[in-house]
Amino acid sequence: MAVDNTEKRLKALGIRETLALLWKQRYLQLMVLPGIIWMIIFNYIPMGGIVIAFKNFKITKTISEAPWVGFEHFIEFFSDSAFSNILTNTLGISLLKLCIGFPLPIIFALLLNEIRSVKFKKAVQTISYLPHFISWVVLGGILITWLEKSGMVNDLLIGLGIIKERISFLGEARFFWVLALISDSWKELGWSAIIYLAAISGVDQQMYEAATVDGANKIHKIWYITLPSIAGTISILLVLAVSGMLNSNFDQIFILKNVLNVSRSEVIDTYVYQMGMSAGRFSYATAVGLFKSVIAMILLLIANKTTSKLQGRSLY
Amino acid sequence: MPQLSAKVKYTNSNIIKRRPGEHIFDILNVIIMLFVCIASIYPIWYVLVNSLNDATDAMTGGIYLWPRVFSLANYQKVLETSGIGQSFKISVLRTLIGTVFSVFFTAMVAYGLSKEYLVGRKLYMAMGTITLFFSGGLIPGFLLLKNLNLLDSFWVFIFPSMFSFYNLLIFNSFFREIPKALEESARIDGAQDMTVFFKIVLPLSKPVLATIALFNGVYHWNDYFAGVMYINDTSLEPIQTYMYRIIAESTSNMLSNNISSAITQTTTSTSIKLATMVITTVPIICVYPFLQKYFVKGMMIGAVKE
Amino acid sequence: MKGRMKKVLALLLCSAIGLSVSACGATSNDPANESVSDAGQSVDSGAESTAAAEVSGDVVPGWQKHADEKVTLSWYINYSWFPATWGGNLVSDTVTELTGVDIEFVVPAGNESEKLNSMIASDTLPDILTIGAGTSQIEDMIEAGMIYALNELADEYDAYFWTVVNEERAGWYTKEDGNFYGYPNISTSPSDIEANEGAFISTQTFLVRKDMYEAIGSPDMTTPEGFIKAIKDAAEMFPEVNGRPIIPFGTHEFTSTGNYAFESYLQNFLAIPYEQDGVAYDRLTDPEYVEWLKVFRSLGAEGYLSDDIFIDTRTQMDEKIAQGRYFCMLYQRSDITDPQKALYANDPDSIYLAIDGPKNSAGDDPTLSGPSITGWTLTMISKNCEHPDRAIELLSYLMSEEGQLMMYMGVEGVTYDMVDSEAVMKEEIIDLANNDNAAYTTEYGGMNTYWMMADTVMQIPWVPATVAPMDQVEDWTRPYVSSMAQYNYILPSDSDEANILLKVNNEWSSTLPKLLLASTEEEFDELFNKFLDKREAYGYDKVLEEYTRQLKENKRKLGIE
Repeated sequence: MAVDNTEKRLKALGIRETLALLWKQRYLQLMVLPGIIWMIIFNYIPMGGIVIAFKNFKITKTISEAPWVGFEHFIEFFSDSAFSNILTNTLGISLLKLCIGFPLPIIFALLLNEIRSVKFKKAVQTISYLPHFISWVVLGGILITWLEKSGMVNDLLIGLGIIKERISFLGEARFFWVLALISDSWKELGWSAIIYLAAISGVDQQMYEAATVDGANKIHKIWYITLPSIAGTISILLVLAVSGMLNSNFDQIFILKNVLNVSRSEVIDTYVYQMGMSAGRFSYATAVGLFKSVIAMILLLIANKTTSKLQGRSLY
Repeated sequence: MPQLSAKVKYTNSNIIKRRPGEHIFDILNVIIMLFVCIASIYPIWYVLVNSLNDATDAMTGGIYLWPRVFSLANYQKVLETSGIGQSFKISVLRTLIGTVFSVFFTAMVAYGLSKEYLVGRKLYMAMGTITLFFSGGLIPGFLLLKNLNLLDSFWVFIFPSMFSFYNLLIFNSFFREIPKALEESARIDGAQDMTVFFKIVLPLSKPVLATIALFNGVYHWNDYFAGVMYINDTSLEPIQTYMYRIIAESTSNMLSNNISSAITQTTTSTSIKLATMVITTVPIICVYPFLQKYFVKGMMIGAVKE
Repeated sequence: MKGRMKKVLALLLCSAIGLSVSACGATSNDPANESVSDAGQSVDSGAESTAAAEVSGDVVPGWQKHADEKVTLSWYINYSWFPATWGGNLVSDTVTELTGVDIEFVVPAGNESEKLNSMIASDTLPDILTIGAGTSQIEDMIEAGMIYALNELADEYDAYFWTVVNEERAGWYTKEDGNFYGYPNISTSPSDIEANEGAFISTQTFLVRKDMYEAIGSPDMTTPEGFIKAIKDAAEMFPEVNGRPIIPFGTHEFTSTGNYAFESYLQNFLAIPYEQDGVAYDRLTDPEYVEWLKVFRSLGAEGYLSDDIFIDTRTQMDEKIAQGRYFCMLYQRSDITDPQKALYANDPDSIYLAIDGPKNSAGDDPTLSGPSITGWTLTMISKNCEHPDRAIELLSYLMSEEGQLMMYMGVEGVTYDMVDSEAVMKEEIIDLANNDNAAYTTEYGGMNTYWMMADTVMQIPWVPATVAPMDQVEDWTRPYVSSMAQYNYILPSDSDEANILLKVNNEWSSTLPKLLLASTEEEFDELFNKFLDKREAYGYDKVLEEYTRQLKENKRKLGIE
């Protein structure tokens, strides 16, 4: 559509015409240029350091002095007996967070938008984002205490008759993924919703009025007006979320993980932290990081192509 | 999207009757919201209540709703430290300057990149995307900052975070929703890109500006890492780094010059942690209502006539 | 990521076995680093360290020569908890006046390892560095030529250094090139330990709650049968503590490298040797040790090992100790200071006592880790220092008896008096230090506020006695402190052996809980043998060989055998 045409037109231009166009849009280019320069300085120059993934880097020597080892670190990572397990855990938790944790703030934002009392709306919104500010160190400590066999959560569940026997939630691996999902979603619900609320607030009020006249109820309005209006924002965040599937919320996992649930709680980030950075093995840690980056980029491109086909929306 | 007639007049919603189904919806909604509120506020309350409790007593646990042995000692200890005023100043400066720089800089670049006719757009977007995923890591970054003489300087908080491609993408998605008609009418009147950007696009983008400003501001306010790694001069430490330090120091039995005290050994590391958390969160909560109004109002009422 | 130092003179645990998450970077199997060396009071006369000579009339101390030329040196401390600043208190002001050197501390607020690495990689190291002995970056820096050789500096600038240096300590840190690049603090050589028997304490203790223990009849817990019975009796008599379930047995945190208490700590209690026939001994497979692991297994199988001990981190443990919920613990006495004080204030009978813990079948006394010649931290002068002469002069001063008196006792006449040529701290100062430590530090800054060059052997006669409730747990350890300097092994980071050990420890960390919770002894045996096979497959033999090699080298340095 519009994008393709412009691109085709640009490609069809020769050097002369391109320069002329450049000159015509010089102010626009000037607006963009500082950003590009910034990226070169602060992103691309240090990016060269990525080569240590293929070397054995020592901090006391420069990067160029480090010897090449090729794919040695990658092979070590992939052939590690723990590899398939940590990959499963990483993907499992990420998928759960994607399928359930991703829509929740959207739903919350939509519902919140429907609250009629402006005062109540503001209050709820302010309160809802507060958990975002509790650090995982503090929150993790609190959760460990609450989730004990003799802790508050068990007291509650037994009192409500939901369970008969006390469960050590953090002591059993099978609960970990769900615990990670619930605690993370709850903590970030209000905060993640902010951007959707901002998007919703940009929707033309007149459309709602007109829809009401045309006989639409609340659900209709949400489905046909609000959602499509924020579809662009949702798409972008979804694509970015999909690309981050190999990442984990390190702070959260790190604090909730223990030796009893480790079979379901060891993810790539925590494993590499322990086997890489903690041990001063920079090259190994960088190699795994590089692997994750490559996969993330591939996922991004796939996700972007998909949304672009389905929705006509793309990151670009 | 349904085609709606722009000729429809602005009608007063009170005149239109509410359907019974909508009542139930409203009530359920309120209940859900109340539940979210309680679930969100309880852990904060728990932290607050425990931080207002005498530390030794708090060690035995079990404080859920109200302080058992009320004590301001934790807060006193933190607020009386000699460096807190300075670190607060640094953080405020950093947040204000850093946010303003970052929001406008990124938005400006985003505006340029939102125009499909920009020559080199594809290249730039690709470059930016790569930076989302690939990074040299801590040491190369540190070396760069050293070579740029940014170490031990206030500007190490501003420049390395001045641009964010992630935020750029978000700006992009908002800018693309702005009807082209608005911009074109301005251009017909002879306005240049910068003018269009400042006079038309930015005012219409208040929600996204407020959002990114909030994200950025919170990032600057909460960041402790830059203060740990890139500066040695403690007078440049922002508040989170400073708090980090206080917490670390409280784990040693040596109370020192740094932590002023009429109070001896009445705090533990945990109680200090909680108190610092509350102290650093309060300013944000105070600032937030000023930004909030941008999310709650609707914009662009009657702006476009087809 | 959290190593926590409690007492001024406590040694880092994390370098003890493999790595704790607080990123020490070093894989050093160093039993000596687990200990606290706190000088006690009972002392032989003449407890001076072996080679510290008197100030000879001929050599003028360098620091006196330049007292008028003011200079500022930056001093890096690799511990985020270090709270002291230089200047504004009696000791630091006096030292600056006497030597002309002002100090600016550089202390990372966190992420010490990353900060240090960044400074190394960017060549921005401060003038003087104090880093935990055994931290791998030390070797790297020396190898890369970033550190001055102290002997060379002494030869060039300050001959006085040679009159105050302890030859054994310098000898321990002397490299193949004949130079030594750093000087340790809190270092105790085997001869020091011999000369001052009973003066040193260990952090390793087996604790029981006083009232509970007495209620079940103060039984003998040194045998497997006695141990198990005591725990069962206690759990039966006290199923709850203040409404919360009792935790029969408490221990250190289970980390990603295992559990310190179930490793060298327990092995020390069982007096398991570190070597056999001159070769590094694999303590893990010692039958006595395995038998006691099985004791715990049987407790675990019957539910006496609560989930709590596997899940809790230090924060939760402090809380539970303060609640007195543990009946017995294999836990460092230095880590219970805060909760113990709370318990004592509440009910003096509810405190934790140190008693005889598990013993081997011969009933041997435990061999607890004590202070060692490696010391706790190493202080070095980096080549970035523009005034290495002033730096070495300062260090000489701090190492001398004069300097030690200053750093510990303070200023004569103000904070201490000389009574019959013995230094005695003033009463009011001791009171102040005990009751309002913060005020003491702010005003005076003595008593090893600046511990970087502390010579605790020299300070033995000066230290006031410990008061309740920490006295009993300290004193109990005195007879059992052993010198383990020769068993201090350091594996450079990213070396083959270090990487093997990393994997082995990782494997062990998931095996240990399973062993303790195995329902039958057969299951235990199976798991244990599987672990040993894996360990061998990783190449653990190489690690043992390296240990043996270092053992021989260490003995040579110490002049043993």
